Amino acid sequence: MIQSLPEAISLILTFEGLLVLTLGTMLGIILGALPGIGSTVAVAMILPFTLTMSQAPAILLLLAIYAGSVYGGSISAILINTPGTPQSAATCLDGYPMAQRGEAGKALGWATIASVIGGLTSAVVLIFAAPQLAAFALNFGPIETFTLILLGLTCIVSVSEGSMIKGLIAGFIGIFLSTVGGDPITGEARFTFGQFQLIAGFNLLAVVIGVFALSEVLTRAAARSNGNAPLVDFNGIVLPKLHEWSGRVKGLVKSVLIGNGVGILPGTGAATAAFISYAEARRSAPTRENFGKGEPDGLIASESANNAVTGGALVPTLALGIPGDAITAVMLATLTLHGVTPGVRLMTENPVLMAAIFSGFFVINLMLLPLGMLVSRMAAPILRIKEAYMLVIICLLCTVGVYFVRGNPFDLLVMAAAGILGFILRRQGYPMAPLVIGMVLGPTLEISLRQGLIITDGSFSAFFVGHPIAAVLALAAVGMLSLPLVRAIKSRKSV
Amino acid sequence: MSALFSERRVISVILFVLTAGLVVSTFGLQFADLGGAFSPMFFPRIILVILLALTALNIVADLLAKTPDAGIDLWPVIIIGAAFVAYVLLLVPLGYFISSVGVGIVILLALGLRNPVQVVLIPVVAAGALVSLFNHTLKMPLPTSPFVWWL
Repeated sequence: MIQSLPEAISLILTFEGLLVLTLGTMLGIILGALPGIGSTVAVAMILPFTLTMSQAPAILLLLAIYAGSVYGGSISAILINTPGTPQSAATCLDGYPMAQRGEAGKALGWATIASVIGGLTSAVVLIFAAPQLAAFALNFGPIETFTLILLGLTCIVSVSEGSMIKGLIAGFIGIFLSTVGGDPITGEARFTFGQFQLIAGFNLLAVVIGVFALSEVLTRAAARSNGNAPLVDFNGIVLPKLHEWSGRVKGLVKSVLIGNGVGILPGTGAATAAFISYAEARRSAPTRENFGKGEPDGLIASESANNAVTGGALVPTLALGIPGDAITAVMLATLTLHGVTPGVRLMTENPVLMAAIFSGFFVINLMLLPLGMLVSRMAAPILRIKEAYMLVIICLLCTVGVYFVRGNPFDLLVMAAAGILGFILRRQGYPMAPLVIGMVLGPTLEISLRQGLIITDGSFSAFFVGHPIAAVLALAAVGMLSLPLVRAIKSRKSV
Repeated sequence: MSALFSERRVISVILFVLTAGLVVSTFGLQFADLGGAFSPMFFPRIILVILLALTALNIVADLLAKTPDAGIDLWPVIIIGAAFVAYVLLLVPLGYFISSVGVGIVILLALGLRNPVQVVLIPVVAAGALVSLFNHTLKMPLPTSPFVWWL
């Protein structure tokens, strides 16, 4: 792949390539800053714009939106105490108090540098880890693939917010939805109930946009906030001086490592990483008593970790086709739309595209610094836009996004139904990320299980005899599922 | 709603009943009988049986939990939800622009906006911008109006 690097860089360093990266990152920052949109919806909304583009620029645009939106969430977290994305929720804790005492520019300066460092390290991790993991996956047959996906799903459920049962239910609903339509082995139609439109199954993006974007519109309509949050004084980003970093570098390194590690685990996501990193920084920092009152160490912990997740989450997505979180699940679906099938074959058969993705992702994270400084000034007034206007725009863009994927009006109905169902389920504490990831992984899970059983003559126990990788992965899956139980027993003992 | 029939518990029961119905339906569907892992119902049946067990556990968990339902302003949700369903049904017959302006106006009114200029202008500008971008710039046509070709 290294041999393809000059060709990949020449792809990026064209007018179109640089324009895509610059505009994508800027747009990502703005969309991420707008509360209610978030990275998943931002990526899904931009999808129709990429359909006319060729492979490399289209994927780079989506990556730029992804990385930009994760950083952009910090702008609204700091300026209006409302995280633009769930990943930035921990940023509010110290960012807004700093802004309240007149240090909004400084707070965004810390957040920007931490985000850039987190993002750049994650790009390096992506470049080195993804090809290795993909090469290791060459040892995988259907049995190993089945246990790997099982492990991925258990990771997702055991770390999902709230009740584990509700997380499991959401995941299994997602897997069930993926079984609707033609059977992958015999081709016979299942659960179509006479609706011919269902023979091709549910459109994943219609469901994703429904459960994330439309349900968010309904949730916000139900909450009906009165007016806009007060915007603090902000006159541009003020970067921290070199001497101000003394005593903070160790915390930054720790947060970056947490972000990358959590990112690689399927299903964990940036919000989890940001909170783990924040909790660890509060535990170990000498300034721990200032946390929650506007302590830069808290900001550094949260922002470096959530941006460090971006590259990490792309590792299993690109190498194995297993999404790291809901955003990468959408990325995976859009890659497929652009004719890219993640996995080891992608690395060997299309090295130029992979090198372009890797180097492009590095450049995007590098661009976060100048573009963050530029766009944050533009984004601040946008935060004053009435929420009702934003909700209308989200609805109209969602429709465009879903309509262009297949041009099928039935998908629009699926989106509306998914939105209403998502609103009801989210209200009752069912997380939506396991549903989407279950739907993405469902078909591979089914095919690998059935192929495995056909190979072993229907013996499920034979899955683990002579398949050491599968046995280890299955044990790890059991371990992940029992984690909440162990945690519950521990907390009961401590009481 | 009484404490026993809280929204959360009702939803849990609905999920259980729906799953039970789907499990039963897997036995009624007719397929070429290839048996075992070849059967199209093999995998969905496993998933649905696990889901049924989980939804039953969920009912028990919700019965034991004493979390009160959070009150919400339901009317805007009902209006926006119904308007959106009507919107996606009318999108092709009426075209993207007209149906989008209609749903935009309903959403803004449901959210409490009463300034007629804002209520009309925002959906017209947003839908118009998208139509001109996709239909006339990117040449990716959205459903057009039966009345005028350019909308």
